[in-house]
Amino acid sequence: MTEITTSWICLFSPLVAVIVIALGGNRFSRRAAGVIATGSVALSFAAAVVAFATMLTRAPGNRSHLSTAWTWLSAGNLHFGLSVLVDPLSVFMMLVVSGVGGLIVLYSIGYMHGDDEERRYFAYMAMFVFSMLLLVQGGNLILLLSGWGLVGLSSYLLIGFWHERPAAIAAAKKAFVMNAIGDATFALALFLLIAKTGTLDYGLAFSKAHGLSQTVLILIALGLLGGAVAKSAQLPLHTWLPDAMEGPTPVSALIHAATMVTAGVYLIARTAPIFQLASVVQDTAAALGAVTLVMAGLIALVQTDIKRVIAYSTMSQIGYMFLGVGLGAYASGMFHLLTHAFFKALLFLAAGVVIHALAGEQDIRKMGGLRGLMPKTYAVFLVGALSLAGIPPFSGFFSKDPIIAATLERGGAFGYVMFVLAIGGTFLTGLYTFRLVFRVFHGDRDRFVDETFDTHHGEGPLVMLLPVGVLAIGATLAGWLQVPGGWHGVSSWLQPVAAPILETTNTQEAIASIVSVVLGLAGAGIAWWIYIARRRPAPAAVPAFERKFWFDELYDALFHRPAVTTAKVLYALVEGPLVGGSMAGIAEAVRGLGTGTGRLQTGLVRTYALALAASLAVLAVVFLAVR
Amino acid sequence: MANGWLTDTLILLPLGGAIFIALAPLSRLAAGLLALAVSLVEIAFWGGALTSYRFDQNIPFVQLEDRTTWFGELGISYHVGFTGPALWLTGMAAVTMTAAIAYAVWVRREHARAYFASMLLLTTAVVGVFVAQDYLLFYVFWEAMLIPLYVLVGVWGGPGRLRATLMFFIYTMAGSLLMLTSIIVLGISRGTFDIVEGGVSNSDWIFLGFVAAFVVKAPIFPFHAWLPVAYREAPAEVAGVLSGVVSKAAAYGFLYIAILHFPHPTHDFRTPILVLAAIGLIYGSVLAFRAPDLRGVVAYSSLAQLGLITFGLFATNLAGFNGAVLQMVNHGLISVGLFMLVGLVELRTGTGKLDRLGGMARGRPALATVLMTLGIIALAVPGSSAFAGEFMILTGVFTSGWGWSVVGAIAIVLAAMYMLRLISAVLHRSKGSAVDDDARDLRLPELAFILPLVACLIVLSAWPAAVTDHNLDVVNAFPALERFVP
Repeated sequence: MTEITTSWICLFSPLVAVIVIALGGNRFSRRAAGVIATGSVALSFAAAVVAFATMLTRAPGNRSHLSTAWTWLSAGNLHFGLSVLVDPLSVFMMLVVSGVGGLIVLYSIGYMHGDDEERRYFAYMAMFVFSMLLLVQGGNLILLLSGWGLVGLSSYLLIGFWHERPAAIAAAKKAFVMNAIGDATFALALFLLIAKTGTLDYGLAFSKAHGLSQTVLILIALGLLGGAVAKSAQLPLHTWLPDAMEGPTPVSALIHAATMVTAGVYLIARTAPIFQLASVVQDTAAALGAVTLVMAGLIALVQTDIKRVIAYSTMSQIGYMFLGVGLGAYASGMFHLLTHAFFKALLFLAAGVVIHALAGEQDIRKMGGLRGLMPKTYAVFLVGALSLAGIPPFSGFFSKDPIIAATLERGGAFGYVMFVLAIGGTFLTGLYTFRLVFRVFHGDRDRFVDETFDTHHGEGPLVMLLPVGVLAIGATLAGWLQVPGGWHGVSSWLQPVAAPILETTNTQEAIASIVSVVLGLAGAGIAWWIYIARRRPAPAAVPAFERKFWFDELYDALFHRPAVTTAKVLYALVEGPLVGGSMAGIAEAVRGLGTGTGRLQTGLVRTYALALAASLAVLAVVFLAVR
Repeated sequence: MANGWLTDTLILLPLGGAIFIALAPLSRLAAGLLALAVSLVEIAFWGGALTSYRFDQNIPFVQLEDRTTWFGELGISYHVGFTGPALWLTGMAAVTMTAAIAYAVWVRREHARAYFASMLLLTTAVVGVFVAQDYLLFYVFWEAMLIPLYVLVGVWGGPGRLRATLMFFIYTMAGSLLMLTSIIVLGISRGTFDIVEGGVSNSDWIFLGFVAAFVVKAPIFPFHAWLPVAYREAPAEVAGVLSGVVSKAAAYGFLYIAILHFPHPTHDFRTPILVLAAIGLIYGSVLAFRAPDLRGVVAYSSLAQLGLITFGLFATNLAGFNGAVLQMVNHGLISVGLFMLVGLVELRTGTGKLDRLGGMARGRPALATVLMTLGIIALAVPGSSAFAGEFMILTGVFTSGWGWSVVGAIAIVLAAMYMLRLISAVLHRSKGSAVDDDARDLRLPELAFILPLVACLIVLSAWPAAVTDHNLDVVNAFPALERFVP
């Protein structure tokens, strides 16, 4: 089979699962729905592996193919095909999405066991994977946007999965609307691109982009960036992400690791030629990433919900990826995307095991001392934490440092500011990550733990522990795909699609590595000092961090309340008088006609007759006038 | 004039059915089932028309024609035939009218013979408007829509039906009289009422006469005062037909008569019309976001959608036209489906007030799935056929000025806000005060008339080019347009 056939299989396998589960309804057992969903994603992964292996046998210049099934949408000279693009970048993403996604769906079989609506859950999960695959495999920008929107839809469905909880529904709507804002700016960029180039095919649009004016390019890139920051929860459209923790924990893992939030990074890498032509916007992407990574790190310091700490760490890590692709170090950004997928999925799923064992409790102030009760979970969580904090030899170390090195290579005032923010982030990462580890697993066991810990259940069934174990191996080893000064597996694979615009030197890599490891360890050390050695009481939370820098309040004041007020004003000043006024006017007119009988038909027929007569009169006048 | 009989049949079959049902002493069930059978046969004949239609740029714009002289000395004839857009709209009308009739059979409308005869008569009138190739014939069908509609709302409507009927009637009457004036002036000055033969005209006044009828019937802001009243008082399925099908007669009138046959006036007046459409789009979306009841949300969203469709039409380019036609088909299917769901929810809970509903997803998977699917498509989630239509419309209107597309993009976000609000208000959170535990899930017969609409939308989502690619090449057929098509 060629890579094209396998790509189509990879794309549609989860969609088939959605349809089968939806049509099957009660005929399938709940377990069967989980197995179908997992199997379909596993098939996608197998197909992606075959595609990857096939492409490895080809010369690097011959690894890009476009396959069109039929014309999806057209008008005049515009034709948008239903097509898949098979190239190193899309196959890279296919492997991450279906591989890590498949493990998360498998884990869900254990996690969601016993929920009333497991079938709906697994249909949505498969839908999510399909949407993300459409996003990364789509052969033109309108399909990318379609996958983009369907990802937003799937996240809405899954965040609001427990639909009787008002908080879950509110969070789901917020995620969807925030994403819709991004979709809208994305769509505007595409309208502009169509107007100027007449196409949305990657190759053609990129080659024609060279002839566009700087203003147009900046506007297109800004529109795309708007979509990217909304989907990837970067400033200023990030507020939906922490609330999205209302969904089941595997959903959080899927959103944060394999799908959704990485889409913005993919978009920038995919449309790199446009961003390179609009370098102001590309710098903006880098700067937004750098600011986000610090801000999210600060907020993570004061969160008390285990999942929210991890959620803010995602925002922060995606900030690194934005910084990477914003600087033009595409492969470094994508490499961090890969390792992050492993260790973030690992952290969420391990946190899920903890939550599962503590009857759904997520507050870290009620945890503590779990190390003894959950040794396996502790071990894998530690792997994830070390990887997140960028401690060698775990994978985060290998992927984060090239991004920091790229800021040095960029140089200048901009580069050094980015450098300071990035290494500041490594310190914060060490601090909040190990605060979490120490609060949850070390120290004295809270009384709550003794009361609720499910000794019979323990650390959960094999179906949950197995994916966690695989992810732990991935989080440990994935970093070795690319070693500074050694080999460059990811960079050379992505070279034909997204060639970097800057090359870092070994010295820069070394400086970045040493500084970030030292600062990461320093963060972890301070966490130890505060939470284990207890030399100091934990500092009081800073209000700005606790209130998440008041973004929610700001958006409420800027958008929601004005929309409500506008609607009220329109009702009062326009709609009411318009409807009421015409009603009164008509009533008056009918009374004036002297029908008086109150019988509808009589009144209407008379009106009709009168209107006909009047129309003839009008007609005569008009006729004479036109003559 | 090959296969003109297909067009005649599509007009006459429901008319014959209507007359038979009105006269024959049928029981309620028999009248309903007969009407249903007639409308199913109508769909089959439409399938025949679709397969005989040739989507080819080099053959006449109007196909499946039939023509008989009517009042020869006045230049009036019975001239019918299909344009590409008319073909798709007729299909949409046939499918949605069938669903509405099935709905009425299921909820056992009183005075069945009068009811079903009216519905079939309405089908004839709507199809007639789409296929008429003679201005006077167009007017006859246009007015013929009004009679069954005012009976349907006035007899089977809610408590405020009398006021609603009156308002709807007076408003649309005022519009259509202006159109009649235009038609008579046009016909007499040319010596023929034939649309195809007459060719294009440059008269601003005649153009505005037509526009008056279309802006009221669509409706376009600020001519929509009848809309919230009529959509709230009409029986649910009739409200669906009003917003889904009858509004398309107006939209099609814009396209085929106002724009294609009055290119110069269109050029002169398109900016004011686009402004009204833009206002309607935002205004409708914002009001839908705060409407207190189900019908209010769907009604105002319909106002917004018609604004969007008008956007596409007055973009006056292929992307805009094709997107608008696709969106007309989408909106017909969505609107009828949503109104029927609204009706079914009202039947179960006795109310449409959003603050008394909620929690209906629990234990009602079919209702939840269908409402969610329709709502999601209605808000034009990327990848859906509604998205394809909106995308094309906004692509088209972008070439007239980026500001229009920005308005459209804002409306996309607002659509997400009001549709999700509706979905959540019905399905999510804790149980509303009007929701009893024994309020049933959608039953099999109910699914049987809603699911086909959803299925049509899903097929169109997989292949929206079915409509946009098999539609019309107006630039070939109407060279006058080229002057200003960007």
